[in-house]
Amino acid sequence: MFVSDCRREFYDVIVTQRVLLLVASDVDALCACKILQALFQCDHVQYTLVPVAGWQELETAFLEHKDQFKYFVLINCGANVDLLEILQPEEDTYFFVCDSHRPINVVNVYNDTQIKLLVKQEDDLDVPAYDDIFRDEEEEEEEEEDSENESGGSEPLEKRRRFEEEVIERTMKRRQRREWEARRREILFDYEQYEYHGTSSAMVMFDLAWIMSKDLNDMLWWAIVGLTDQWVQDKITQMKYVTDIGVLQRHVSRHNHRNEDEEHSLSIDCMRIAFEYDLRLALYQHWSLYESLCNTCYTSASLKLWSVQGQKRLQEFLADMGLPLKQVKQKFNSMDVSLKENLREMIEESANKFGMKDLRVQTFSIHFGFKNKFSASDIVYATTSLMENIEKEGPETTNFIKALDSLSRGNLDKLHQGLDLAKKQLRAIQQTVASCICTNLVISQGPFLYCSLMEGTPDVKLFSKPVSLCLLSKYLLKSFVCSTKNKRCKLLPLVMAAPMDVEQGTVIMVGIPPETESSDKKNFFGRAFEKAAESTSSRTLHNHFQMSIIELKTEDRSKFLDALISLLS
Amino acid sequence: GRAWGAWRGGRQRQGGAAAREPPRGLGETGLLEASVSEAKAGRTDLIFLIRFRHCCLLRNQRCLLAYLYDRLLRIRALRWEYGSILLPPTINMTFNTSFCKFLLVEWFNRYKKSLATYMRSVGGEEGLDLTQDIKPPKSLYIEVRCLRDHGEFEIDDGTTILLKKNSQHFLPRWKCEQLIRQGILEHVLS
Repeated sequence: MFVSDCRREFYDVIVTQRVLLLVASDVDALCACKILQALFQCDHVQYTLVPVAGWQELETAFLEHKDQFKYFVLINCGANVDLLEILQPEEDTYFFVCDSHRPINVVNVYNDTQIKLLVKQEDDLDVPAYDDIFRDEEEEEEEEEDSENESGGSEPLEKRRRFEEEVIERTMKRRQRREWEARRREILFDYEQYEYHGTSSAMVMFDLAWIMSKDLNDMLWWAIVGLTDQWVQDKITQMKYVTDIGVLQRHVSRHNHRNEDEEHSLSIDCMRIAFEYDLRLALYQHWSLYESLCNTCYTSASLKLWSVQGQKRLQEFLADMGLPLKQVKQKFNSMDVSLKENLREMIEESANKFGMKDLRVQTFSIHFGFKNKFSASDIVYATTSLMENIEKEGPETTNFIKALDSLSRGNLDKLHQGLDLAKKQLRAIQQTVASCICTNLVISQGPFLYCSLMEGTPDVKLFSKPVSLCLLSKYLLKSFVCSTKNKRCKLLPLVMAAPMDVEQGTVIMVGIPPETESSDKKNFFGRAFEKAAESTSSRTLHNHFQMSIIELKTEDRSKFLDALISLLS
Repeated sequence: GRAWGAWRGGRQRQGGAAAREPPRGLGETGLLEASVSEAKAGRTDLIFLIRFRHCCLLRNQRCLLAYLYDRLLRIRALRWEYGSILLPPTINMTFNTSFCKFLLVEWFNRYKKSLATYMRSVGGEEGLDLTQDIKPPKSLYIEVRCLRDHGEFEIDDGTTILLKKNSQHFLPRWKCEQLIRQGILEHVLS
């Protein structure tokens, strides 16, 4: 059931208990986790934090800890499946689910006792009505019995007439039941067909903190990073992003208005957040402007930088702005101050001439001390790279812990390491995209586009991780749409495959929705993958919390794809 | 005592080894046998030799005592570091005589008892565990991270926590201190 008063029905309940936090492996979840941890530390709530990367880890963690904990908080996992069926908990176990995955499973919505959903009510959820999908089975049995008992003693003629009436009644009831069940299947199919995302969990947690008047600037920053993560990964629509930015902006001005007054401004070492209408260039303040222009999806796709003409266009673009190549290729911080002064407006003007109308985006940045200034998207890229670092330093959870640490301001060394990894990742993505487009690796299979990365491809190991592969797919689709002349292909979704584990012979496959201006980001590949796997009995693993990311055995790939094509045609 | 203060540190490490070397210079001439009685009998030229030998013996004694004392201090530190443990047998491996081994173990047990008696007398009814909170605590609860798999850990009030590598916990400080010192948990500062 939905929790209407987050404070009373969630926080006040667990503040006296020991709680197990199960946190998924994405930046939004990490941010929500940081906010909740800060609240728990403030109120001395004893908790244990276990990172989970998929359903199997969730189940294992639950089994290991179910004897010790009665209250479980799930962050960014658990809303889109029937939790009670998967985990089989005892009657006195309670789950608080703060998850941005949609659609929320109907069993979770209508369970009154054990499952509490921490979801903002403004999200339009379109949950089907209770009566349309659940039916009391006892009612039906009673009806059948009644109809049978009525045939008690009376005259044979009346008996016969009554008997006929009863038969007619029974057949009508059966027909109604069949109709109801058919309608139920249809309703559920429509409801569960498309996957999408709701409000960021970090924002939900920040809201809770705000309701309790315990919100701090640090927590606000984490909420901002959580929202920016959803934007970077293209999980929410542009409109939702802008609306949520507006919500956060009110909080930012509330917490940070002191800086505007010269007399009472805070020390430079205090952390402050500022709203920025900033350039959409990834990591540009920690890189050179040139590198950032080459490795940001938006500019690279619009200028078509994988081709020779594209490179020339880039030079023209820079010349149009009057930025000398030498300046642009050195570290951003070392660029001439006179060039940096009106950089944003200059770039925007020139960008408009070259067909890039959305080069600036509303976002926030954080300052503390003289040297440390970061934009929200910088943090998102850095944290994602840390979390999916392929250099194995122990079990998978070590990367999670490192990424979690990097979100604290005291761990700047980890953040800088993340920034370096992010630069490598972005470069690798752009190079892979360029080679895929130049070698025409993206082929149309009819209902969707398909691209498969071969084993020997440089940096292919980076793309054995789900978030990196999703980023690559989105960038590839955007670039492909810009490069192709085929109008029909521009509207197709993309399925991308990359080798996951060479020894075990597995492949990771993701499906992303088509790239259109007014895309609602709804993804049908989750259910499609499930059905295709069933029909071909391919050996697939649907471990990831997002249904549109699966692993399968390399041998089963072709029959799986064939099934998918026939399913979606 | 106070006199041994100067012997801490590097010097006492050489103490034991040095003491086992024969005093240089005396072995050649066989004058080790020179006795005090001979000196009293009139051979006054032997007095200096005897004094010299005496100083060497005193020096050896100082070295050995310094070494033993330092060993003692380290064994005492074990009590503060790890709690009321039994000394592992490897502690006493350098000693060949069982008498020395016995002495150190005996000393350790007596020290433990003496510390326990003192702690019980200091804190009123329940006593005061001085080995806890060696550094002034900043908060009642601390966040700890598990550095390696340790299995289930039971706290005083009966609840168990599963300590798996990379899991993080927020627990009362006194429940974690022991494990932090053993290196199983790490205090996370944020």
